[in-house]
Amino acid sequence: MTTQAMPMTAHPDPLLRPGNTNCAGCGMSLGLHWIDEILGSERPYLVIPACCGIVTAGAYPTSAYGVPTAAATFASAASYATGIATVAALNNEHHPVICWTGDGGTYDIGLATLSAAAERNEDILYICYDNEIYGNTGGQRSSATPEGVVTTTTPRGKGERKKNMMAIMAAHRVPYAATLSVAHREDFLRKVRTALSTKGFRFLLMLSPCPTGWKSEPDQSVELIRAAVGCGIFPVFEVFDGDRYVINVPRDGTPIEDYVEKQRRYSGLAADPSRLRAQIDDQWRMLERMIHSGRPHV
Amino acid sequence: MREFITGNEAVVRGALRAKCDFFAGYPITPASSILTGFVRVFHAGGGIAVETEDEIAAIGQCIGAVMSGARALTASSGPGLSLYSETIGLAQMGEVPLVIVNCQRMGPATGGATATGEGDVLFARHVTSGGYPLPVLAATDAGSAYRLTYLAFNLAERLRTPVIVLTSKDIALTRQTVDLDAIELAPLERRLATAPDRPFAPYAINAPADVPAFAPIGGQTRVRFTGSIHDENAVLTIDPARIERKLTHLRRKIDDAADSLEDTEPDLDPLAETLILSYGSADGAARVAVAMLRESGAAVSRLTLYSLWPIPTRAIRAALTSRVRRIVMPELNIGLYCDAVRHITGPLPIMSVLRYDGGLIAPQTIVARVRSCDGDAAACSALSPVEGSSCRC
Repeated sequence: MTTQAMPMTAHPDPLLRPGNTNCAGCGMSLGLHWIDEILGSERPYLVIPACCGIVTAGAYPTSAYGVPTAAATFASAASYATGIATVAALNNEHHPVICWTGDGGTYDIGLATLSAAAERNEDILYICYDNEIYGNTGGQRSSATPEGVVTTTTPRGKGERKKNMMAIMAAHRVPYAATLSVAHREDFLRKVRTALSTKGFRFLLMLSPCPTGWKSEPDQSVELIRAAVGCGIFPVFEVFDGDRYVINVPRDGTPIEDYVEKQRRYSGLAADPSRLRAQIDDQWRMLERMIHSGRPHV
Repeated sequence: MREFITGNEAVVRGALRAKCDFFAGYPITPASSILTGFVRVFHAGGGIAVETEDEIAAIGQCIGAVMSGARALTASSGPGLSLYSETIGLAQMGEVPLVIVNCQRMGPATGGATATGEGDVLFARHVTSGGYPLPVLAATDAGSAYRLTYLAFNLAERLRTPVIVLTSKDIALTRQTVDLDAIELAPLERRLATAPDRPFAPYAINAPADVPAFAPIGGQTRVRFTGSIHDENAVLTIDPARIERKLTHLRRKIDDAADSLEDTEPDLDPLAETLILSYGSADGAARVAVAMLRESGAAVSRLTLYSLWPIPTRAIRAALTSRVRRIVMPELNIGLYCDAVRHITGPLPIMSVLRYDGGLIAPQTIVARVRSCDGDAAACSALSPVEGSSCRC
């Protein structure tokens, strides 16, 4: 299957139907369309906890997912998906089981069930669309929210740095973990294809622009992610078996200001460009250490 | 001063009036604005507001804070109360004064996140394993949400127990005009402390209904705490006599105080044949229905229940004046509290007016229910299929 040969609507009922309730500029919309391209005629089961993505499922007749979709409780997406994947395997069914979750359900309340499913290497593709905020409940901080960002529960700006979820997943030695950028289409599609063709637990982390929460312009969403990748605040990389790190898109020296100044959420006391640059350098030093200390990727 | 505030804002104000200085919570509709309200207030000092990683952490932090001397509150909705469950048991066993606000929404599970429902009225009482009682209060509007949150702190401190305050989506998020300063409040109660020169045992009592004195973890006194069954020194025990003593105490300290925990508002007519028994957000409709019925010449009584558990038995019996032949009970659930009061009201028929589709009960529906009981067939047929089918005689 090649991506070029697969038009956006290869099947009559797309993964994400048009007319859905996603906000303009929401990263979820582009992400789901691109995942759908790689799925082709393959139909997954979606498991979604409490998050904006379950609002997208909507009420009849505007339900926006064209595949079987289970809405789990906030904490239980990975465990619900484990049950589906286990029984599907017993029944010799081979539909991908995909958890589609926000950062609250991944970094915070869902972390225990996510960790346990990863540790058992369940046959699940877990995708976190990370908008770095509790968007569905009105914009509270999560442990994915970067330092310095103002939310309804961090009026002076968050005082803690963003949790390093990729390092946590790598520490589980899952077969495949990768970050996804909606500004790097070919890389995005390749990684979804890799994830879908890998057996066991797979984790994809997509930085998901959120004009409502980030206080940015909807038409700037893709450009914001391009700037995030360019300045290095969102490294685009993949990890095989927890110890083979590959950088897919190097940072290119884009000034951090190009990213933060187009969002009004970076208005806290700690949202100082030099401070953010130091954090980015620190993050890249850690990544480079992992690349050099891990097994070579073949 | 008259203010235009939501029930959630009233909860924050009531808690602050009760000297609450610690809040921990997790985002959930329709309770999130209690969390953000505390964040705004404590932003400048005077207390701590924490957004936790889930509800289990929220109530856990509250217990740690209370046992260190703070006055704490956590707030959530049905899914969060479900996650609090085990730790509410810990608060019961450890005798932790703690206030829990449950902004109910339609359930079970995610239910209707933005739809109203008051289906947690039994769940609140039986929220944790073991079956031991805890006080449950139910607000009807922003004003009572303020008063009851304040009262809940007093009850929690007086009885060293978790106390649950129920509101629901329409109470939590609807703005109402209320003069908080005009609401009468009892003096603030502080937890009983041991004299510093006396030996301290964390759960020492003389009589079963006594409440043990408190000393904070981290003070001069060494304090033990356990969720396991324990003796007065908080030491795990397998001695049947000590086990029975502790568990009888957990029951008696609440049950023996039942009369003093009753919180109701009667509006009785000695000639009434119908008593409308109301609580929660159906109370507003009940009040209007009573006015409509009285205007048309009917004799009708109303009793509003602000305390649901222990069941306010004395007030309910007092409202059953000699001519009352029936009780009409509006509820935003499948008739849960009706079943709870039936053993008090005896053979009197209870006519439920139920709604659980996410909407509110209209006063006209209650009026039609009362009139249908008087043999008004037209009134009965005017009830919608949902309302009609859920009316139980």
